[in-house]
Amino acid sequence: MQTSSWVPLFPEAASSFAWQVDALYFYLILISVAFTIPIVAAIFFFMVRYREKEKFATPDEMHGSIVLETVWSIIPFVISMTIFLGGAYVYYNQYRMPEDGMEVYVVGKQWMWKLQHSTGQREINELHVPVGRKVKLTMTTEDVLHDFSIPAFRTKADVVPGRYTYLWFEATKPGKYHLFCAEYCGLNHSGMGGWIYVMEQRDFDNWLAGNESGGTPVQQGQDLFENKLGCASCHAGGADQRGAKLEGIYNKEVRLVGGQTVIADDAYIRNSILNPSSQIVEGYQPIMPTFKGQVTEEQLVSLVAYIKSLSGVTGAAPTGTGTTGSSTMQGTSTNTNSTVAPRADRGNSNTQGSNPNAPATRPEPGRNNQ
Amino acid sequence: MASHEGTHEEFHYHAPGLQHQFEDMKQQEESVSIGMWMFLVQEIMFFGGLFSAYLVFRSRFPLAFAEGSNHLDPFWGGLNTLVLIVSSLTMALTVFYAQRGNRNMQVLMIVLTMIFGATFLGVKLIEYTDKYNNGLIPVTGWNKRIKDTGASEHTAETSPAKDAAFVLPLVETRTSAAESATHEIHPNPKGEFQWNYGSHVFDYAIEKEKTSGKAYLTQSERIGYFSNGAFDPNKYRDKIRIFFYIYFVMTGLHALHMIIGLGVMVWLLWAAFRGTFSSDYYAPVEMSGLYWHFVDIVWIFLFPLLYLLGRHFLHS
Amino acid sequence: MQNVDAIGSADLTGPTKTNYLSNGFTLKSWLLTKDHKRIAIMYLITISLFFMAGGLYAATIRLELLTPDTDLLTSATYNKVFTQHGILMIFFFLIPSIPAVLGNFLLPIMIGAKDLALPRINLLSLYIYWIGGALTVYALLQGGVDTGWTFYTPYSTTFSNSYVMAVGLGIFINGFSSILTGLNFIVTVHTMRAPGMTWFRLPLFVWAQYATSLVMILGTPVIAITVLLLAIERTVQVGIFDPAIGGDPILFQHMFWFYSHPAVYIMVLPGMGVVSELISNFSRKKIFGYEFIAFSSIAIAVFGFLVWGHHMFVSGQSIYAGMVFSFLTMVVAIPSAIKMFNWSATLYKGSISYDTPMLYGLGFMGLFLIGGLTGLFLGSLGLVVHLTDTYFVVAHFHYVMVGGQVIAYLGGLHYWWPKMTGRMYSEFWGKVSAMLVFIGFNLTFFPQFILGYQGMPRRYASYPAELQVLNIFSTAGASVLAVGFIMPLIYLVHSLFYGKKAPDNPWMLPGLEWRTSSPPPTENFEKMPVVTWEAYEFGEESGLDLDEARRRESVTTVS
Repeated sequence: MQTSSWVPLFPEAASSFAWQVDALYFYLILISVAFTIPIVAAIFFFMVRYREKEKFATPDEMHGSIVLETVWSIIPFVISMTIFLGGAYVYYNQYRMPEDGMEVYVVGKQWMWKLQHSTGQREINELHVPVGRKVKLTMTTEDVLHDFSIPAFRTKADVVPGRYTYLWFEATKPGKYHLFCAEYCGLNHSGMGGWIYVMEQRDFDNWLAGNESGGTPVQQGQDLFENKLGCASCHAGGADQRGAKLEGIYNKEVRLVGGQTVIADDAYIRNSILNPSSQIVEGYQPIMPTFKGQVTEEQLVSLVAYIKSLSGVTGAAPTGTGTTGSSTMQGTSTNTNSTVAPRADRGNSNTQGSNPNAPATRPEPGRNNQ
Repeated sequence: MASHEGTHEEFHYHAPGLQHQFEDMKQQEESVSIGMWMFLVQEIMFFGGLFSAYLVFRSRFPLAFAEGSNHLDPFWGGLNTLVLIVSSLTMALTVFYAQRGNRNMQVLMIVLTMIFGATFLGVKLIEYTDKYNNGLIPVTGWNKRIKDTGASEHTAETSPAKDAAFVLPLVETRTSAAESATHEIHPNPKGEFQWNYGSHVFDYAIEKEKTSGKAYLTQSERIGYFSNGAFDPNKYRDKIRIFFYIYFVMTGLHALHMIIGLGVMVWLLWAAFRGTFSSDYYAPVEMSGLYWHFVDIVWIFLFPLLYLLGRHFLHS
Repeated sequence: MQNVDAIGSADLTGPTKTNYLSNGFTLKSWLLTKDHKRIAIMYLITISLFFMAGGLYAATIRLELLTPDTDLLTSATYNKVFTQHGILMIFFFLIPSIPAVLGNFLLPIMIGAKDLALPRINLLSLYIYWIGGALTVYALLQGGVDTGWTFYTPYSTTFSNSYVMAVGLGIFINGFSSILTGLNFIVTVHTMRAPGMTWFRLPLFVWAQYATSLVMILGTPVIAITVLLLAIERTVQVGIFDPAIGGDPILFQHMFWFYSHPAVYIMVLPGMGVVSELISNFSRKKIFGYEFIAFSSIAIAVFGFLVWGHHMFVSGQSIYAGMVFSFLTMVVAIPSAIKMFNWSATLYKGSISYDTPMLYGLGFMGLFLIGGLTGLFLGSLGLVVHLTDTYFVVAHFHYVMVGGQVIAYLGGLHYWWPKMTGRMYSEFWGKVSAMLVFIGFNLTFFPQFILGYQGMPRRYASYPAELQVLNIFSTAGASVLAVGFIMPLIYLVHSLFYGKKAPDNPWMLPGLEWRTSSPPPTENFEKMPVVTWEAYEFGEESGLDLDEARRRESVTTVS
């Protein structure tokens, strides 16, 4: 969140009803201070003024006062009713869905947010919206309770399995705002965050049309891996991570569930993204979702490049055809079909310098490895 | 309440059974009585949680509930109700005779109460066994496993499953026996919950909707029983399974309380036999009676809510 | 009536009379005791152990949160740590604390009875507490639980790979301990009061315990059935909470909070009762508005059952239900406000001494004020949508539960320590630790209000880097708070061996507990008291010989 002070006190207010929430907040702070200061002052004053002067003194009896009791019951009650009414009004604004909102569908799952615009554009852990337009989110979850929370917009709502819940907002300021999951959902609850990008209408239209800015494939792949696609949530989590380790695996032999071994080459990596359940590394569960339909070929290229870079392989785009990489049913690692580098280069996970397959053939589009 | 003038060295007559923290029997009886009522209040809250769950699901899926309820045998349920009511009578008579110090009648009444209590549990065993045999226990593996032999059109009595690990007889309740005419042994290799009894209540409701134009399904039902616009018997079965889950938890918990009640009766029987109770001291009998009556009352609520839903559908 | 000369005097020269502590030294005499005072001491020891365990978990949380990344623990471990912190602190420390320790010890004495009405039920209550606690600790040692203390479904029924069932059963069993204690207290207050001890002469501590007991009896069975259903569903994978089979996760939340909201009143009403005693006794002035404080406790207990939905404002519950719950939440705040004003008015024109218990009592007033006011923030609909599930909630409930009940518990423990143990602790160290607790507490939890408004969600092992400074403040405060909590452990235990022998009535107070020896005999009183004075009469009408006491003060040095 954008904050301007060293100790951040206040998040940015970036939605149409955020000011109402903040107003309520200030009103309550005011009331709290208005009660706290006199009471604390009275306590201190009485403590000093009426400290015991004589041991075991017996001060004058004071009987209660119905008048006082009534006064200090009625006044707080009236004040609390103003708080209630103000709150109910703001709440009604927050949770009554607009009819003319731009629809976005949200599915929470352990541990990522999948979003889809009504125009078909999909996002993961990010939401791009235009400024000044009402956006209505229709949400659910694939597994457990989560909560879609955007502090800058001052709103949140749980997502519940088996039904739809709703959220709406109208962003008022372009910028980048935190998205958090705010209902405990298991292992990576803290990591299930993302960003809401509020853009000017024109920029938003551009974005919808799919224009991306530059960056090398490895950089783009890293961005996809760490931010946009949420791969890091399972593949970069440390010793207990749910996903197979990707560092240093490129072109190494990998044992799969079921006993076969494969060489983890470009095609294998690509296949693992598009059809993860087909070649699972031994010791891991079949829980990776498929990204078929969510990544373009261009993005696949970047991802594979990035993953290769985790084995120290820098440079050009991946090689390999659309075959199943080096896997054979016989359990050996001879690849007869691809144009991958000769065997002498394999097994060396720390290959520095350029990929010996440099003028590579691009993987044929559409050849999925089944 | 008496206040002591003297010190504790003086002799005080203590009624039999007076505990040391009390000044006199009256205080003890009052305490024990309030204590037992408080205990019963919390038991009400305990069952109350289950009744609320029942309330929520029945108001969402009334047809599935009625469907499941129609397969509970009101004969056995009604018999149990009668048995419990009579047992409450004998319990009350126990207290009556204890107040009069009539040892023999007390003992007789306690024994009768226990016989009725045991009868109740016996009937529940019959009912549960029937559920077990017909795949109506909601947990996979907890029903009778019946291998899929490909055979059909057997009547219940002639072909007990050969591989059944349990030796429980294939008990037919009157309801399911009534259907024996066309009764098939449905294979149930995994001992799963099965619903083989169609959807009469649902069909009836749909009929009524068509003919009367009024709504007979709740909103939840319009979503909950259908897949892709068509009636989905598997989803319907799932809702019926919820009915049976609640049925088993409620009656099971009730039966557990009944067993505890029988345990209390054993102790009471032994104490009464030894002549512990008299017109001076019969509070334990009274308190046990309160507990017994409570268990009875819970059943009075359970019976109609579980057994008598939508009964008229079957007979219209 | 008690022998007036005996009041306040400590026969420091004569042979020691038998008291409840010296009445049998065998293990059997403790484990099979029916004496409410011994049972209270056994609760005290067990509760202190649970507090330390829960505190270690808290320290671990704050250490992890020093840095924005999950670097000290893995996420899996962190999730277990905060869950177990909550479970141990709530079910095994806070809920029993004042009722089982101070209530058990003092309630019969305060009303002039020999024991509770049902001593064997009391012992059973202790045994059940031990069994439930042992089962839970066993489950924690086996690998623990990571669902959050709230056990929301379907995560707890279907997705969590942890010992949900075992811990659930531990909590289920423990609930009966709570129910039996509450039951016992209600019966006792109704039937065991000494002659002359009418309802409106009862100390407000007793009124508070009575109100708490109502909540315990009515609420705890609901969590019992909820946790039981949860355990069943988890075991057999059939049930009513998992939507995959037609169940409803929101139903779980309703059933869970139906108890757990009243539970928070179990975790504050007894504290308020202690505070009424502290404020009144250390101002030597009758509590202002006695009836109002008494009835406000009952009102909180009753209204507390009507507001559970304020934990579910963003859960998908209908907005109209939200409005009803918000309105009722505002209503339930009023009785607490009434108490706060009455306590303040009690100080007016009192004769106030600054003993350690009073410092704790005043600390409660300040901290509960903030905690209660921030409850209004959370009860206010528009604002709560932003604040729920954030650190604002964490700060709020720590202010009311720690700043409230724990502080009151410590205050009560110090106040009645001479009575319970027959020893005086070091007043200097008492004051020091009271102040450390107050300062450390504020430093720990006040920054969390700000973190919450910033949007930092709860139960997060990692957080955005810009929030680190506030988290560091919070952890720094926690280290001070930890010192403040550890110190009483040391000097109170020290006092058991080296503390001055306590007189019967060190502060010359009128409560019945001060009319018997320190520590009391097993039967509580040598003679059954007959009460002829009103509650909180500090003068001669209640039979206190103040002149004699002042004269003795000037001769000897009694604390």
